[in-house]
Amino acid sequence: MTMFNRRTLFASTVAAVGAATEALTARSAQAALPKDVEPRGSTGRLERLPRLDLESVHDFITGFRKFANGDMSRSANARMTAIIKAEGLDPDADLPIQKILELTGKDPVIANSARTWLSAQQINWRTLHNEFHANSDLYMAEMEAADKAGPGTLELNPDLKPPAYTTHEIHIQPGGYVGDPFAGHIYLYGTNNFYTGRNNQDELHIEYASAVPVPKTGKVTRVLEQGTSCGQLAVALKQRFPNAEVWGIDVGGPMVRFAHMRAADIGVEVHFAQRLAEDSKFPDNHFDIVTNNIMFHEVSQDGARAILKESMRVLRPGGVYFPMDFYTGGPPPKAAYGKFRSWWDSRWNGEPWRLDYAALDFAGAMRDAGFDVNENGPPARPGTKRNILGTKPA
Amino acid sequence: MADAKSAGANSGPKTYTTDFIKADTDRAVFLGNALLDDMMTALIALGSETWAVRRRAKITEMLFEKNGKISREMVEQYMPTPEEERQLTTERDDFIRNIYGHFARNGEDVVALNSLDPKSKK
Repeated sequence: MTMFNRRTLFASTVAAVGAATEALTARSAQAALPKDVEPRGSTGRLERLPRLDLESVHDFITGFRKFANGDMSRSANARMTAIIKAEGLDPDADLPIQKILELTGKDPVIANSARTWLSAQQINWRTLHNEFHANSDLYMAEMEAADKAGPGTLELNPDLKPPAYTTHEIHIQPGGYVGDPFAGHIYLYGTNNFYTGRNNQDELHIEYASAVPVPKTGKVTRVLEQGTSCGQLAVALKQRFPNAEVWGIDVGGPMVRFAHMRAADIGVEVHFAQRLAEDSKFPDNHFDIVTNNIMFHEVSQDGARAILKESMRVLRPGGVYFPMDFYTGGPPPKAAYGKFRSWWDSRWNGEPWRLDYAALDFAGAMRDAGFDVNENGPPARPGTKRNILGTKPA
Repeated sequence: MADAKSAGANSGPKTYTTDFIKADTDRAVFLGNALLDDMMTALIALGSETWAVRRRAKITEMLFEKNGKISREMVEQYMPTPEEERQLTTERDDFIRNIYGHFARNGEDVVALNSLDPKSKK
């Protein structure tokens, strides 16, 4: 594989998402951002981390995640099961989390499994945070120069007051989505190794974009992604619907700022704005498709209901609402270890709303907002067989 | 806002940041002693840095084999071929398993010091 500066190499192409290879290499000759900081070039659409040693540390973290989620997790699961059985209890009997913690929370095998996972996550964020902040003048200047560049546009709103539920350090990312000027940079690389390298070229987001259903009329002129973060899905949506006006909104100013810079760098025209999903400022009946990806499990129940209401407002009659996230409304995990992992992720991996989301009757909330709901819509996320689908009644 | 920390307003460039609610994970103690938790974090950090050194050495070797000469810049910029990348990934996973596999023994088989029966091994 050769190294290159991606903005100088590729001719203008907007690829259909179905043609994955083409989509991965789509670039625009117009995309020439004023200041480009990529000291080690790019592979496809991924700018390489700026130092070999940092890249190697993150390569290690990627491998360590696989190990921690595999061998170590199996070991902890076996240990938890053995402890609960030794107490004469059934580990599959839907024990209260308090009981599970009381019996197993101090076991060294289980505690160490949790510790090592958390330590790796902390190292992941810390090393990225340190890198971008150590070179903040450079990266800040790059973003400032990109703010007004195209293709696509960027709208920032320094007066926006984020709802409190959005201001947690989700995934324990330093500063969360709103509090660190390099939140987008940090999020992109941190989640890349979360995906164990399977999303370095936005492969998963391209899959998600390809799964989004089209309204029955076939008309797709405007598409909205809520909670766009780095804009990976919004870019993939634009590549799937090249004639549509695609918007990505997020509460985090640094997130949409990075998303815009990245999309412009790749050469895809997306409009990014720092706006709230529950107060998006778009006109009524404006979009043909509104979608989002793993957003709702990071939203409070009140926030979710407000977002659904707003989604209903901005979607045109017959338009499609396609929120991609975990299933809700079904029975929560009963087995002790599954229950523990869900709780642990919420408590210690900065997912404060995850359990609330799991408890929400999401289909019911969509119906309350006025959607026609199909709980067996086409699958989107890997390993799933269905995805909830809403339609605004015509 | 409880526990909020401002990372925003300053006299420098606009950051478009706002207050956030800080996580408490830096204070997490899972192993019964904060020092043990810190040592585990240090052990993983040490592993990551050691892997970085080893990966750099491997890349240096790859370059040397190909070119017969190397420079620091060539090492820093080198992009392994897909085959080399596969080799490195295999080696990385072995490296991790060799070091940290000790923490992943089958939890069911944990045997306490005071439960040694030399005949039944229980």
